[in-house]
Amino acid sequence: MDKSKDEILQGVTDCLVNALGVGEDEVKLESSLVKDLGAESIDFLDVVFRLEKNFGIKIPRGDLFPENLLTNPAFISDGRITDSGMQELKTKLPHIDFSEFEKEPLVSNLSDVFTVGMIVDYLFGKLAEKTGA
Amino acid sequence: MSRLKDKVALVSGGSRGIGEAIVRKLVSEGAHVVFTYNTNKERAESICSELGSDTSKVIAYPCSLEDKSSIQAVVDQTLEQFETLDILVNNAGIIRDGLFLAMDDKDWADVIQANLGGTYFFSKAVCQQMLFQKKGRIINLSSVVSLIGGIGQANYAASKGAINSMTKALAAELSGKGITVNAVAPGLIETEMIQNLKSLVGDLKKKVPCGRFGEPSEIASLVAFLASDEAAYITGQIITIDGGISLQSRH
Repeated sequence: MDKSKDEILQGVTDCLVNALGVGEDEVKLESSLVKDLGAESIDFLDVVFRLEKNFGIKIPRGDLFPENLLTNPAFISDGRITDSGMQELKTKLPHIDFSEFEKEPLVSNLSDVFTVGMIVDYLFGKLAEKTGA
Repeated sequence: MSRLKDKVALVSGGSRGIGEAIVRKLVSEGAHVVFTYNTNKERAESICSELGSDTSKVIAYPCSLEDKSSIQAVVDQTLEQFETLDILVNNAGIIRDGLFLAMDDKDWADVIQANLGGTYFFSKAVCQQMLFQKKGRIINLSSVVSLIGGIGQANYAASKGAINSMTKALAAELSGKGITVNAVAPGLIETEMIQNLKSLVGDLKKKVPCGRFGEPSEIASLVAFLASDEAAYITGQIITIDGGISLQSRH
C-alpha cells in the first residue's frame, strides 16, 4: 500500500533528526535543510543514505540533491543562474518547485530550494513508482 | 586493559608483521577483530583459532587490495556478522623497491594501487556504516619514508604520502560526524620487510636515535590508543613512531 505524505514526513523527520542532530519539532515541511536545519555538504549524503535505509529504496546519486550541476559557465552569470541554467535545473531536478527561487535566482540562494517538503515530494513520487502506482 | 570491549575492528593485512601485531593488540583490548589476508590462509586460520574466544571473535577473510568487490564483500560480511563496525585499520600494503630510473612502470602502478587504492576502497566501504553510527575510527598505516623519503622507494613513499594527504582530507570531511581519521607513520620495524632492507644497507640501527628497530607491538599499541575513546579528540594527524629516525638534527 502506498505511504501517505504524513507517513513519509515522519520517516524523513526521523532521518533528519538522526543525521543533523536537530529536534523533531524543528523539522517542518517548509524548513530549509541548510538555513533552518544547519546541513553541510556531507550531511546531504548522510541524509540520502538514511532515506535509502529507512524507505528501502535506492536513490541514485544526484537524483534528490544535485551534484556537479551548473558546471557549464553559460549557466551562471554575475552570481545569477541564467535562463539556460534554470532550464538545466528543472530538467535534472523535476521534483523541485523553483517558482519562488526563479524570482531572484542567485546562486547563493540555491540551497533554499532544498526543503523538507521537497524531500517528501521526491519520496512520494519515488515510492509510487516502486509500487507501480 | 579492555579499552575496546565489544568494539568491532577490521584490519586489512592482519596475518603477519605489523598487521598481525595490531590484530593481537586489538583482541587483547577486548575487540572483535575481522582481518584480511592475501594468500596465507593457513597462517590466518591459525591466528583465528589461537586468539578467538567467547569474548573476542576473530575472523579472517581472503582479500585482494586491487579488487573493490572483494573489499566490499569483507565489509558486508563483517556487518552481517556483527551489525556494526567501529574501527578500520588500513594496514595492508606492498613494497616493490627499485631505483627510480630503473623502476618498472608496473611496480609503480601496483604499489600505488595496492597501498593508496586499497586504503581508498576500504575507507569508502566502511564510511556509510560509520555515518549511520555517528562514530568510527579510521587508522591508516603510513610510513616515515612519506616524510623523509627513501632511496629506491619513490613508489612506496608516494603511496604513503598520498595516504597522509587523504587522511587529512577525510578527517576534515568526517570528523563532524564522529569519525576520526589518523595515520601512523612507522620507521624501521622488526618485520619480514625489514630483513630485505638490512641486507641492502647494512646496519641501519646506527641511524636510529633510539638505537634499535621498533617492535610491531609498539605500532599496535599506538593503533589501539587511536582506536580507543581516549583518542576521540585526535583527528587528521600523521603520528610518527620511528625511534627518532626522522629527526633532522641527526642528519
